[in-house]
Amino acid sequence: MIHRSLVRVLAFAAMSALWGGPACAGLGSDAAGVVADGDELHGALNSTSLPQYDIEEITTDTGMRVREYLGRDGVVFAVSWSGPVLPDLRRLLGTHYVEYTAALAALTRPGLHRSVRIASSELVVESGGHLRAYAGRAYLPARVPAGISTADLR
Amino acid sequence: MARIATVLTAAVLCACIGGKGTTASAPPPPTLNTLMLTVDSGPAAATGQINHGYVTVKVCAPGSQTQCANVDHVLLDTGSVGLRLVRSVLAAGGVTLNAQTDGQGLAIEECVSFGGGQTWGPVALADVTLAGESAAKLPIQILDDTGAGAAAPAACVATGPLINGVSGFGANGVLGLGVFAQDCGSACVNASTPLPLYYGCTTAGTCTAENAALAVQVANPVAMFAADNTGVIINLPTLQNANGDASVQGELIFGIETQADNALPATGLVVLGTDANGDFTATFNGSATVLPALIDSGTDSYALNINDPAIPVCTTGNLMFLGGYYCPTVAPLSVYAVNTGVGVNNASSRVDFAIADPSATFVTTASAFIDLAGGPGSTNFTWGMPFFYGRKIYVGIEQRTAGAYTGPYYAY
Repeated sequence: MIHRSLVRVLAFAAMSALWGGPACAGLGSDAAGVVADGDELHGALNSTSLPQYDIEEITTDTGMRVREYLGRDGVVFAVSWSGPVLPDLRRLLGTHYVEYTAALAALTRPGLHRSVRIASSELVVESGGHLRAYAGRAYLPARVPAGISTADLR
Repeated sequence: MARIATVLTAAVLCACIGGKGTTASAPPPPTLNTLMLTVDSGPAAATGQINHGYVTVKVCAPGSQTQCANVDHVLLDTGSVGLRLVRSVLAAGGVTLNAQTDGQGLAIEECVSFGGGQTWGPVALADVTLAGESAAKLPIQILDDTGAGAAAPAACVATGPLINGVSGFGANGVLGLGVFAQDCGSACVNASTPLPLYYGCTTAGTCTAENAALAVQVANPVAMFAADNTGVIINLPTLQNANGDASVQGELIFGIETQADNALPATGLVVLGTDANGDFTATFNGSATVLPALIDSGTDSYALNINDPAIPVCTTGNLMFLGGYYCPTVAPLSVYAVNTGVGVNNASSRVDFAIADPSATFVTTASAFIDLAGGPGSTNFTWGMPFFYGRKIYVGIEQRTAGAYTGPYYAY
């Protein structure tokens, strides 16, 4: 693993400023979107580079942790989260948030849910937890790099 | 004449007994600390529920003897903290509760995530009675299904759909009796950036996240009782049918080690301390993965993520069991998990259990099912309702001591 957080943060910040703000963010967006998400969450951004993708991790002093998985094609193909509350999923799921809420509404399982899983060929969302401790993830199966196990996307 | 004499004699006898009862040496009668707990198909407006344990809660406007309602079908939830009642149900019962206000005079409202959606609504005070126990001026959440208060702010609806109504919960409310005294605790008191949980709302309906002192937060009613406030015991019988029981009755007992009916057993109790999130740990079927775990009456199944081709997610069979349950290829399938407590109460306990194939064998007219497992994608191990059948489950509240044990803990 190679840590090169500061340089990347500065580079992304410059790109973000250049592009004039968070037009798109979260799943399916690009590196500039990651920086915008960090700003929105008032978090610190840290980057880890792996051979097939980068993990951009945003942490906040309230205990929120968000990871965005940025592929070599420049697209965020997965996001994960943990913390005392759920993060802004509308932002983290980006354009896929509508699919998520539509799938939730269509769930036939009655009553209180402590965890939910929405899965299609385009989108997988897993979200769960309880008061004080929530965790989950979402990914685009078609964009997960070849040979990468989805179990690693946490 | 003879008849009158008999009555008189009886009256005198009664007087004598009464007189004896008031002498200083006699103990006071025990507080009625047991509430009926029923697993059935749910409130009329949302039938078809499975493995939901319900109680009836008496709620009154603060200080009122008349503005009271007995709200039935309130879901007992040992995985959350605080009483949350649907506003339209309270209104139908003739009870109106007003939002508490913060230091700036703003209405205090709350947004709480329950996996598949959010509750939204004001925090109000109520006098709450459970069996013979009462908590006066208890902060509860009103689930604002009628939209009488401020609309949910963007930050709340950005985490999922609102589930404020009876159909969203499959209940008229939730009675959260988990291991803590308040729902959020210290994380909501002094945060430099307030968590998006408690909000202050203007009369114009603009809501901003803000901190909330412990005394303001939605609270565990049992922690606020004058006595029998160390925790609760849930006592449900073993189910009679492998393919589902129509309904089940058990009891919710208030207090641990405070009365004869809630005494700790002399031996054999497994006490699992929890961390600051309310979790102990569990491993499933010998896996090295250590999962945060809880014992949760609000979950209908043993809920965990299973990556095993022998235990696939159900895809055919009864429609009722297709959304997120497991259907083992050979059923019932014997599995096990090892629970370990956190902190001082660090017991370790292996639990053998079974996973049934609900799509093939469960009767959809029943409401109580043993051996039901689900929760694909979950990052927790949740011992849901199947774990409660045939067991006494103890939930010890933080900083309360019962015998040798101090909460927070779950025990069985």
